[in-house]
Amino acid sequence: MDRAVIAVSDLYKIYRVGENRVRALDGVSFQVRRGEFCSIVGTSGSGKSTLLNMLAGLEKPTKGKIIIAGEHIEKKSENQLVAFRRKHIGFVFQSFNLMPSMNALENVALPLTFQGIDKKKRLEMAAEVLDLVGLSSHKNHKPTQMSGGQQQRVGIARALVVSPEIIFADEPTGNLDSRTSAEVMELIREIITKKNQTLVMVTHDDHLASFADRIFRIMDGRIIGIEETGRRKTT
Amino acid sequence: MKLRDMLRMSASSLWKRKIRTVLTVLGVVIGTASIVVMISLGLGLKRASLEEIEQYGGLTSVTVMEKDAFDMDASDAGGQKKKQATQHLDDKVLDTIRQVDHVEYAYPVLEAEAMILYGGYQCYTTLRGMPAESMEYLKLNLGQGSLPKPGDEQLSLVFGNGIIGDFYNEKTGQSYWSDGKLPDIDLMESPLMYVLDTENYYNFLWGGSGEEGSTAAMPKKYMFPTSGVLAGSVEDYNSNSYAVWCDLEALKKVLKKEFRNRSIPGQPTSASGKPMKEIFYNSIMVGVDDMDHVKEVQNTISQLGYSAESNAEWVESMQGQYQSIQLALGGIGAVSLLVAAIGIANTMMMSIYERTREIGIMKVLGCDMKNIQGMFLLEAGYIGLIGGLIGTGVSYGLSAVINTLMSTEGSGIDLAAASGISYIPGWLSLLAIGFAVIVGMVAGFFPSLRAMRLSPLAAIRNE
Ligand SMILES: Nc1ncnc2c1ncn2[C@@H]1O[C@H](COP(=O)(O)OP(=O)(O)OP(=O)(O)O)[C@@H](O)[C@H]1O
Ligand SMILES: [Mg+2]
Repeated sequence: MDRAVIAVSDLYKIYRVGENRVRALDGVSFQVRRGEFCSIVGTSGSGKSTLLNMLAGLEKPTKGKIIIAGEHIEKKSENQLVAFRRKHIGFVFQSFNLMPSMNALENVALPLTFQGIDKKKRLEMAAEVLDLVGLSSHKNHKPTQMSGGQQQRVGIARALVVSPEIIFADEPTGNLDSRTSAEVMELIREIITKKNQTLVMVTHDDHLASFADRIFRIMDGRIIGIEETGRRKTT
Repeated sequence: MKLRDMLRMSASSLWKRKIRTVLTVLGVVIGTASIVVMISLGLGLKRASLEEIEQYGGLTSVTVMEKDAFDMDASDAGGQKKKQATQHLDDKVLDTIRQVDHVEYAYPVLEAEAMILYGGYQCYTTLRGMPAESMEYLKLNLGQGSLPKPGDEQLSLVFGNGIIGDFYNEKTGQSYWSDGKLPDIDLMESPLMYVLDTENYYNFLWGGSGEEGSTAAMPKKYMFPTSGVLAGSVEDYNSNSYAVWCDLEALKKVLKKEFRNRSIPGQPTSASGKPMKEIFYNSIMVGVDDMDHVKEVQNTISQLGYSAESNAEWVESMQGQYQSIQLALGGIGAVSLLVAAIGIANTMMMSIYERTREIGIMKVLGCDMKNIQGMFLLEAGYIGLIGGLIGTGVSYGLSAVINTLMSTEGSGIDLAAASGISYIPGWLSLLAIGFAVIVGMVAGFFPSLRAMRLSPLAAIRNE
């Protein structure tokens, strides 16, 4: 039996906008097993990004508990959160968010810099991951010299290079066409399955969501359904 | 995160914004250069005046003499009237003084009046006898000849370069200072005659009476060789120009011979007016290891019961004066560095606004908050460092220009002509560079704090 690597219980996030209160998350509880690929789907404004940001420790919950890799996220200071992300978490952005002045190789090596790894070593590691995502020939390209799909592969390589236990991705294919999206999804799936990494992905596309093992449907800040896709081979 | 990587990232982000970096650095260059040049002017003035004092007898020497009976402390005179006998300067005192802290050397000086006669000219002067081996401390600049050798039996003399102007014609009374003509005397080669018993010489000249009321006879004349003459013309003045030196032991011997059974002029006598057995020194010259200790040594010696004099007060008042000039000049420079600091803060602020997204991404990717702050501080520090380096370089150039302008002008400030009115010592340039770096970092501190506190969410929110 797999232990839950993510355990969320009774999570609330309430924004005050003037007089109004927006219940972005309205009592969410769920668990994710190690090695699982989960996608969170829902309409725009349903609270997907809010949930993901809170899991990654980028935002504080109003109420509730988040336990990731055995640690209480909601109790950590900002500095502790940064250290926690450095150790356990990879993040893939919708808008790629590569450093414009760095080439692909340097971008992928950036998180390793923050871990204090030697230049030579980290460039080697980055090159390896770039090979894995099929960008061997684009190592010296700057972000502006690459297509969206290529940029997102660099983004994925950057999340993977630190070998994180958990990867969060907020609409990783939101800026890509459907064919490229499918390619990128296949790639992600393949890699994380190999390394038994956990992936939580936000999307509003049912087709892309179906690449996951489980799909969480979310609406108005509540989980309204969890589907097993049966993709995962149960042993 | 490694310091090397932080340095690299900071440098590259400055490099990315070259024009802005150059402009900000320019501000620091101007600020640093104006501070350094301003302070260098103050230092140059100060150095020039210290050099002047040096010419008037040195900055680190203390002259010790017997305390005058009248010169007793007022407090002593009031209460206990235990009038201690005047303490004469002898070898024991010399040893005591040598033991005082910070005293580098001390040597005795015995003065004797003498009349020098040659070919119708005469010169009334004072011979200063001191141990030949101590003469190196005088740092004499000999033009001809050499210093007397230690242990020389024969008394030989070293003349200051101004002495020749003190010779006057016996008949006309004219000397170089009255008619501008140098007497035809070669101090090195001419056989000069010396009269040591000057009192009887005058008595003889003007028909006065001798010691026992008898008519004065012409006192004995001696012939001493000259061993050296100082470099410089008769008009070049320094503290040594008008002195005549000789070896102490040789002088003592000659005096003892001349004044056998009589009291030597200038020497103390016993209560009954009899000459004393020993010859006492007129003064002891003390060399102190550092200018800053002169006052201390002077006080210690005073407390031993001697009079001690130095240029310390003069130097002190002068230094106080130049300190305020320097502060004023430095203040003017500091204002421009302050403006530069505001420029740095502004540049850093701008760059943080521009890089909100980058900073957010770095935080999401696990860059420590301290490292983020560190990178921005380093960036500001780089601006300070580059500005400080260039600014110091520029100041050396400006300083050279000022000095050549001032010296070619040949204006009234001739005390500055020797070594320049603007003077940048090594410590000043190091200090200026260090200061520029610190100013940069201080200016960059609040921007860096802001960068550190930026929310990582800013990065993920789509534009
Ligand atoms: N900082 C904020 N202040 C106030 N309200 C917010 C804030 N962030 C999000 N919300 C609100 O919370 C709700 C959930 O927003 P969230 O960004 O999680 O939606 P989403 O599911 O990611 O939508 P999308 O698919 O469009 O990205 C929305 O109603 C939104 O208006
Ligand atoms: Mg969203």
